[in-house]
Amino acid sequence: MRKAVSFILVVIIAIGIGLSLQEVPFGKTKSEVRKYCLEKGIEQTGATNIVTSVVVNYRGFDTLGEVTVLFLAAIGLSAILYREKEGERKNRRRSSLILYTGCKFLFPLILLFGAYIFIHGHLTPGGGFQGGAIVASGFLLVILGSRSWWGFNRSKMKITESLSGLIFVVVGLLGLLYGGHFLLNYLPKGIPNELFSAGIIPIIYIAIGFKVGSEITGIIDDMIRSG
Amino acid sequence: MEFIENYLYYIASFGLILIGLYIILIKKNLIKMIIGLSIMDTGVNILLISMGYLSGGTAPIFSRENLLPSRMVDPVPQALVLTAIVIGLAIIALALSLTIVLYRHYGTLNTRKIRDLKW
Amino acid sequence: MVNPVLLIVIPLGGAFAIPLFAFISKHLSKYISMIVALAMLIIVGVLIPAVSKNPIVVKIGGFRPPFGINLVVSPFSLFFAGIVSLVGFLVSIYAIKYIQKGDIDKYHLLFLLFLAGSVGVVLTGDIFNMFVFFEILCISSYALVAYNRDKDGVEAGIKYLIQGSVGSAFILIGIGLIYGLCGSLNMADIANQIHSVNSPLLFLALFLFITGFGIEGAIFPLNAWLPDAHSSAPSTISAVLSGFAIEVGIYAVVRFVWTVFGASNLLHFLAGLGILTLLIGELSAFKQNDIKRLLAYSSIGQIGLILFAISIGTAESISGGLFQVLSHALSKALLFLAAGYMIWKVSSRKIEEMKGIGVRMPITSFCFLIGAFSLVGLPPFIGFPSKFIIIKSALLTHQAYFYFLVGAVLLGTVIEISYFFKLLQGIFSKTEETGIDEAPLTALVPMVILTLLIVGIGVYPQAINQFLHLASHNLIDKMGYIEQVLGAL
Repeated sequence: MRKAVSFILVVIIAIGIGLSLQEVPFGKTKSEVRKYCLEKGIEQTGATNIVTSVVVNYRGFDTLGEVTVLFLAAIGLSAILYREKEGERKNRRRSSLILYTGCKFLFPLILLFGAYIFIHGHLTPGGGFQGGAIVASGFLLVILGSRSWWGFNRSKMKITESLSGLIFVVVGLLGLLYGGHFLLNYLPKGIPNELFSAGIIPIIYIAIGFKVGSEITGIIDDMIRSG
Repeated sequence: MEFIENYLYYIASFGLILIGLYIILIKKNLIKMIIGLSIMDTGVNILLISMGYLSGGTAPIFSRENLLPSRMVDPVPQALVLTAIVIGLAIIALALSLTIVLYRHYGTLNTRKIRDLKW
Repeated sequence: MVNPVLLIVIPLGGAFAIPLFAFISKHLSKYISMIVALAMLIIVGVLIPAVSKNPIVVKIGGFRPPFGINLVVSPFSLFFAGIVSLVGFLVSIYAIKYIQKGDIDKYHLLFLLFLAGSVGVVLTGDIFNMFVFFEILCISSYALVAYNRDKDGVEAGIKYLIQGSVGSAFILIGIGLIYGLCGSLNMADIANQIHSVNSPLLFLALFLFITGFGIEGAIFPLNAWLPDAHSSAPSTISAVLSGFAIEVGIYAVVRFVWTVFGASNLLHFLAGLGILTLLIGELSAFKQNDIKRLLAYSSIGQIGLILFAISIGTAESISGGLFQVLSHALSKALLFLAAGYMIWKVSSRKIEEMKGIGVRMPITSFCFLIGAFSLVGLPPFIGFPSKFIIIKSALLTHQAYFYFLVGAVLLGTVIEISYFFKLLQGIFSKTEETGIDEAPLTALVPMVILTLLIVGIGVYPQAINQFLHLASHNLIDKMGYIEQVLGAL
């Protein structure tokens, strides 16, 4: 009964969508915003990767919200999984020698790659979120491969998290102080396609990279501790 | 054939959205419902991306000299999807943590067996 | 001149800073959330005179509106922001002593983000930005509902989460469709183009938006999560969830229906839906024996009334609806806060157990009484002028449909009076127990302030009438909104 009702509901929605979607032909975008961002993007923000200039500059406020959402999830998760007393430490199976050595070898390389991704966010595909996720995957590898792991030093991680969030806010507020607009790109834009260009974009993306890396690592850490 | 070519992305995205919705509606296991949520999110992201596609367009990155802005796909939906992915991740993480605590309390993930959960 | 963006940035920055302050002292965080909420209240106060003259459009990053994100601080949105910061500030005072279990600084952090999300939703002028802030609001409330980590809380939290995130997926689909049709995310720009687009997709998108925001706004078929979530959350959180979170959901629905889509032919439908919500809420509240569940169902009823008032569609009725938003925010916050310490003292949520609490906690129970009287609409409290304006404006439309619905509103009020009377009778009944065991001072101060506000505005409604008129005219004036945002294009 329940299945049938659900199925009929879904089918009705599907028909409604199918009938109405012909209005938006695929592959023929006609947005004014797109034109503006592509034509004026380099001149106004200095970033050659227009997606980055949209993410950090044109829609930078969204990104601040997005960073907040991730922060919120990490905090909410640890508030929910919080225990008054530290749980029993279960004996974990020790990882094999191959895994252990491999992780030790790969960990710095992964960190380096993550840092590369978020530092070059304004030039190549990538950015703070992607780089941060790669950094966190490096830490996950450490957890998987370590022989005696009882959790990271969380207070350092919290400091990183908070400071990088504050850097984002402060950089935005300086724009307000400087030119009257929050998140105004007030630093010199430099020459496009060079590392030191695009004003505040690399600063914000580096802050995001650190923040996302430490937050996702924190989420993983919390989940393993509670298990 | 032309129909498929024109609407393939829409079909895929709405297919995923409807599959996800169907899973959420009928499944009793909380983890499966969260998986449904995740599938639905993926479908929405594909929909957003396909809204900004330009046939034969290039990535919106001026990495070489001779790239034309008019031949590039729309960067805005890509930025939106980046945001949407992060938000989806946050929701899934929180849902899983709630599920862990719920399991501690009830010892089951079956929504029918949990006292007040009527869906 | 204060920049309104600070209203959003200050709580965000405060939230990011709390973990750092927690290293200095564990007790600092509760004062931070209070100070931040006070700062928001002051900013709103400073902005009111300027905004009454002319709405402020804030360009984030200095980009022209259709291309960058902008905030629109109009009387209508500032009114909601004011309620958020006022109730938020009072609740944060209450929380200083009330929240003792769990990870306290995380509670305050989540609370600040909750405030930031609500203010962001009402101030923004961009649909995707609204979605992002809406998610901040929702995710923080999922976590806060489950904050006690007891059986009820976690269960209500996951229920709320699954329904809420299906809703946000719907909103996101709607945003995708709108972007495909109009190629823009700015509300004013979309409103400008929407008449040239004529497609069934628009209807689908509007349906998705109403469903998505309606889940947070607790409109009738979508409010299954509300009684559980509002009753099992900590009382401070119930107060803010009932006080302004659902109103923010209604704000979003109204923004989309009125400003973005201009769908005035939908108003009769929404008015009917509002009345249905009202009746369902009041009828369910009638048979509750759990005090917080009763209050939660009564919130559903009030939301229905607000939706009905705004959907009548005249300037008068909208200002009545906004008056009702204020009255509900103050009264319901007061009721939940008072109920919080009553539950604390008798350690049960059952109404039977509350017998004689009126003798033990005289001030708290007196505040509860005032809140209940105001909610049912007795003079001289704030609930009276608001209900009066709504009913008067509905009768002034001279349509049989609205006459019929007014009858339903009166019926709902009768039910409301009967269950509140039952509840108050229980609270004030005599028992042999004597001795005064009052709530702490940090709880009494916000409750007394709320009581004074309820009585004060109830006696002298002219104080805010003028601003409400501005706000309602501002909502109706769609062309003015487009012009303010896009400039002379």
